[in-house]
Amino acid sequence: MKPECFKNRLYYGIFLPVIAVSGFVIDSPYYLQVLTFIGINTLLTIGLNMLMGYAGQISLGHAAFYGIGAYTTTILTVHFDFSPWAALPCTLVVTGMVAFLVGLPMLKLTGYYLGMGTLGFGMIVYVLFREWSHVTGGSSGMVGIPSLSLGPVSFSDSRNYFYLVWMIVLVCIVFCQRLIQSRVGRALRSISDSENAAKALGVDTKDLKLKIFILSALFAAMAGFLYAHLVTFISPGSFDFMVSIRMVTMVVIGGMASIWGALLGASVLTLLPECLHAFADFEMVVYGLILMLIMIFMPRGLTRGLMDIYERSVSKQI
Amino acid sequence: MSAPCLNRFEKPPLLRADSISKAFGGVQALLNVSFEVSEGTILGIIGPNGAGKTTLFNVITSAYPPDSGQLFLDRKKIQNRKVHELVRLGIARTFQNVELFENMTALENVMVGQYTQTRCGIFAAAARLPWAVAEEKQAREEAMALLSFVGIAQYAENRSGNLPFGWQRLLEIARALAAKPRLLLLDEPAAGLNAVETRRLGNLIERIRHQGVTILLVEHDMNLTMTICDRIIVLNYGKILAHGTPEEIQSNPAVMAAYLGTSEVSPLIYD
Amino acid sequence: MQEILQYLFSGITNGAIYAVIAVGFSMLYNSTELINFAHGEFVMLGGLGIVTLWGGSLLPLPAAFVLTVIGVAFVGFLLERVALRKVSRSQPIVLVIITIGASIFLRGIGMLIWGKDAHAIPSFTKLSPMDVFGAKLMPQSILILAIVLLVVVGLHLFYRKTLTGKAMQACAINEKAAWLSGIPSDQMVLLAFFLSAGIGAIAGIIIAPITMCGYDMGILLGLKGFCAAMLGGLGSLWGSLVGGLLLGISESLGVGYVSSSLKDAIAFLVLLLILYIRPTGILGIKEAKRF
Ligand SMILES: Nc1ncnc2c1ncn2[C@@H]1O[C@H](COP(=O)(O)OP(=O)(O)OP(=O)(O)O)[C@@H](O)[C@H]1O
Ligand SMILES: [Mg+2]
Repeated sequence: MKPECFKNRLYYGIFLPVIAVSGFVIDSPYYLQVLTFIGINTLLTIGLNMLMGYAGQISLGHAAFYGIGAYTTTILTVHFDFSPWAALPCTLVVTGMVAFLVGLPMLKLTGYYLGMGTLGFGMIVYVLFREWSHVTGGSSGMVGIPSLSLGPVSFSDSRNYFYLVWMIVLVCIVFCQRLIQSRVGRALRSISDSENAAKALGVDTKDLKLKIFILSALFAAMAGFLYAHLVTFISPGSFDFMVSIRMVTMVVIGGMASIWGALLGASVLTLLPECLHAFADFEMVVYGLILMLIMIFMPRGLTRGLMDIYERSVSKQI
Repeated sequence: MSAPCLNRFEKPPLLRADSISKAFGGVQALLNVSFEVSEGTILGIIGPNGAGKTTLFNVITSAYPPDSGQLFLDRKKIQNRKVHELVRLGIARTFQNVELFENMTALENVMVGQYTQTRCGIFAAAARLPWAVAEEKQAREEAMALLSFVGIAQYAENRSGNLPFGWQRLLEIARALAAKPRLLLLDEPAAGLNAVETRRLGNLIERIRHQGVTILLVEHDMNLTMTICDRIIVLNYGKILAHGTPEEIQSNPAVMAAYLGTSEVSPLIYD
Repeated sequence: MQEILQYLFSGITNGAIYAVIAVGFSMLYNSTELINFAHGEFVMLGGLGIVTLWGGSLLPLPAAFVLTVIGVAFVGFLLERVALRKVSRSQPIVLVIITIGASIFLRGIGMLIWGKDAHAIPSFTKLSPMDVFGAKLMPQSILILAIVLLVVVGLHLFYRKTLTGKAMQACAINEKAAWLSGIPSDQMVLLAFFLSAGIGAIAGIIIAPITMCGYDMGILLGLKGFCAAMLGGLGSLWGSLVGGLLLGISESLGVGYVSSSLKDAIAFLVLLLILYIRPTGILGIKEAKRF
């Protein structure tokens, strides 16, 4: 068996039991909710990683799609009495269309200009959430979002929601892994190494970048949907510029171009603030410091960094 | 190869360039360049540094639009198309400064080259549809065969950025061949190779030609160019200085002058 | 007429400040190809520094000004030395994340020192507003413009006339070649950080009297400055000036004629439009792709 393949099985071997067992063992709704948030952030991170890590296109405004997902389902269920499951496809379609319309002109930009363009888009959408009061509830947000249920199973129970979210995460992980190993995935990775060469081999890079942009927006919309029906209350603050930045940070901290890295990055950066509450006023200082330290000492991200440390310690023992 | 050579030139040209011009600001990189390449032949393009050879390739592959002039592939106009469309029409290239996908394996590089030959999309890949799996398997086998063809099959699973330079060049050729081109553009494939590697490269180019692929070859190594090209054009300051068989080019005083700055014939041209 | 003039005045004043912030981004980008997301925090430190040193009447204004600028510049110096120097340059995104970490860190420090409340200081001059065609022009605005022009012209001369400035530009154009010709490129990068942080502090100081200064003021100001730098074309000094003014004016006209709550959206809408038309900013050089 190839080492890559082995590693992948190993990760599944850790991931699946951990999820299954922690859902079983943990009783505190608070901890279950934190774990559910990790799942939602993982969705965001995996999607953004497809765009940033694999296709090499930065987005500093992805919270906009997260927000559009959350707001669309909220507006449909609260104002128009849609059932959440009917709202889901509408949410995905709306977000996909927005991503298409935004991505079409935006992906002409490269490097920092692309970063700035997407950042600007994120800001505009955020202001829209905040100011379009009679639709979005303005800065105080919207309440009364119905929780999910499926037949007899109610997802207002934190354990059930936990399993629902992680099931979806699992599906997305499998989806992305298969995609990355396919013809499309190779073309995608080729763009970040040399866009010119990719074009010269017949890859319609513009089209492909747009498709992946839309795909990653759909992941964010899905996360937004799950977020809205989990907390049943949303406000613009959950989708502002800092949220976009946090998403990018999760991708890079975990390790670019690594799906398991996305999972790790999302976990670490979701848990970190929870652990840092103890520091009270020093929370921000410590958070910033940790972020810097991780990047200085593990510039290739936590997954690779930890792997390097492990391999070094193993080789020392021999 | 002398007898079949004669009627090779009677076929209609595969590629015809009709007074192509291209300027970058004040630099006239190409001026009224016209030539034809017949199917199955090797056309060498030589000229001093900055003569416009790479620019010519970039114009042919539509990386830049020409300022004026026309290009025909099989009598079909091809200028002003998108770069990636030309690959489907049968034009593939390599780059002067090797442009591999460094973070991918050698095999994966070649498989990107097969992009136009395969058709599995996002959802077929995610669902692992049976035809997509079969296609992937076949593509992998063909890619391996191409790596063997250029002689680096044993490095299929190595990260391409880690390969020695000479093999990177071979890999680039394999990757271009994966697109099943009718016209292959090689930009200084021997640059940075040692004598043994260069000889092997010459042999490889011959074998590619025998598969019916037409080749445009930009190369500074005169030994290589003179032995494998059927015809040669010489560019100087963006203009065609001479056009003919290797023998004619070697005895052309204008070419000597362009290369050496004098009209003396010197063996230096063989480097 | 009077109204539009009033909006223009405030737009130009704000725009000038955005321009100074943008200049800081741009000159650092020139020397390191890095966007420093902690730059807004230098602005914050500058603003709060002057609040303490002058507003708290510890020092006279000129001394407080100089001390603040040098202090903040030194923070920029430390950032490069301690956090960024060792990390390889090949991966810009990693450096960007480090600067994001640094910005959160500095914001945290700011909160620890100055608390969560915003502070205000009086205007630098005691002169009364002038009347221009019925619109009020604040002396503070003139002072701001003067300082901004001084900074930009000073930098221009620094690049054109001094050996160090030329060496810095050489590094920006081709680091290896500059290094080969004996320019210590490491020190140039350090100097760039020092200067850019100092310029950020200047922006913070001049904005302090016309706004409330708090530990979190750097986020939005940094973003606006980044936006202005991109608008004008990253790496171009005059581009930053143009971008800043354009941003400031379109914002204040937007506030005046559309809606004050949409202020931020308008600024970024202008940005998107301009990037759509010119993907590398107004005065940015179009990157020539070579093969
Ligand atoms: N993208 C570009 N922008 C500006 N000038 C260019 C560009 N590409 C090429 N040139 C100029 O056009 C001229 C021809 O360049 P080209 O690369 O085609 O030469 P070449 O014959 O391939 O030389 P070499 O043997 O060094 O590869 C040169 O003067 C070069 O500087
Ligand atoms: Mg060339």
